[in-house]
Amino acid sequence: MDLQSYMPVPPGIRMEENFFSLDDILLSHERLPCRTESAFPRLGFLEKSSETRDIPEGTKMEMPLWLAKGLYERKRQVLSVELPKVYREEWRTVFGADPIVVDLHKMGPYYYGLGSQMLHFDSPENPEIANTILQTFIGRFRRTMDSSQNAYNEDTSALVERLDCLERSLKWVTCMYVCVIERLV
Amino acid sequence: MDPAEVEFLAEKEMVKIIPNFSLDKIYLIGGDLGPFNPGLPVEVPVWLALNLKQRQKCRIVPPEWMDTDKLEEIREQERKLDTFTPIPSLYYMELTKLLLNHSADNIPKADEIRTLVKDIWDTRVAKLRLSADSFISQQEAHAQLDNLTLMEINTTRSFLLDSLNYMYKLRSNLQPGRSQDY
Repeated sequence: MDLQSYMPVPPGIRMEENFFSLDDILLSHERLPCRTESAFPRLGFLEKSSETRDIPEGTKMEMPLWLAKGLYERKRQVLSVELPKVYREEWRTVFGADPIVVDLHKMGPYYYGLGSQMLHFDSPENPEIANTILQTFIGRFRRTMDSSQNAYNEDTSALVERLDCLERSLKWVTCMYVCVIERLV
Repeated sequence: MDPAEVEFLAEKEMVKIIPNFSLDKIYLIGGDLGPFNPGLPVEVPVWLALNLKQRQKCRIVPPEWMDTDKLEEIREQERKLDTFTPIPSLYYMELTKLLLNHSADNIPKADEIRTLVKDIWDTRVAKLRLSADSFISQQEAHAQLDNLTLMEINTTRSFLLDSLNYMYKLRSNLQPGRSQDY
């Protein structure tokens, strides 16, 4: 029943990205720490701190997701990607203990999306990462729902700051609706 | 779904009015509306009742359920039970708003009725949210809720559906399916 002339393309399902989705495009700019497994001749300019013309094997550098995904291969001859801090063991226990208090926006505004993309890189911890992301979403669901339905005439920017982009899009959809309903009563 | 659309659908409900003019039976596509005689009650749809009232051609008789005692009883029952109680009209929220805004003079104790209906609405929406929360947190596949009205469903429709979609996406990460190489 929405009569919009522009329907934004939603982010993709599981490990695939939607080509036209703005969220996925912005998300693929996130930088990941990687380690090169083979030398990259004459690409020294990509690595700001190196003085040589080529990037030797074994350099640690940061690459955006789109580049890392393109270069990554199962046989691991080119690149090996490390997990960002948020998806590692220590943070996983934090999320397991209490997902509500974490400031997801500070941890990288695309926690859920980037987490799904990290599963491409065949880390042995993949099942735990996937499970943690799911449980975090479920744990924070109640808080997101409450904040979206009660927010229309209060300033909840403090609450909103701690939400990830996905949760914010959920929240704004409901906020608009609640505004209209409240005007009725 | 827009609340305005739900209000539009609510205006199809029938309500009793007492006209102060006389008119023969009129034949509309949706049905016939009986002959209007001054002082005799006749059943018409809400949209017509409001129109006549605005032109000061009738007096609206409040529906039977729009009475403080009945509404108090419904409110008490709503608070006692965990499930949703059947309510007398599927569009109680919209009808209350429409009738009280346009013809509060014809309805006794209008303010109390407004407060009571708002209480009932708040209780029901709170139960709905609780139910949605437990549905998601226990990751159940199937839920059934009886006696919900369209307006209440619309408050959670978009949020619940979008959250369930996201959950499906995140849950499908758990399966080690291989994405397409490119």
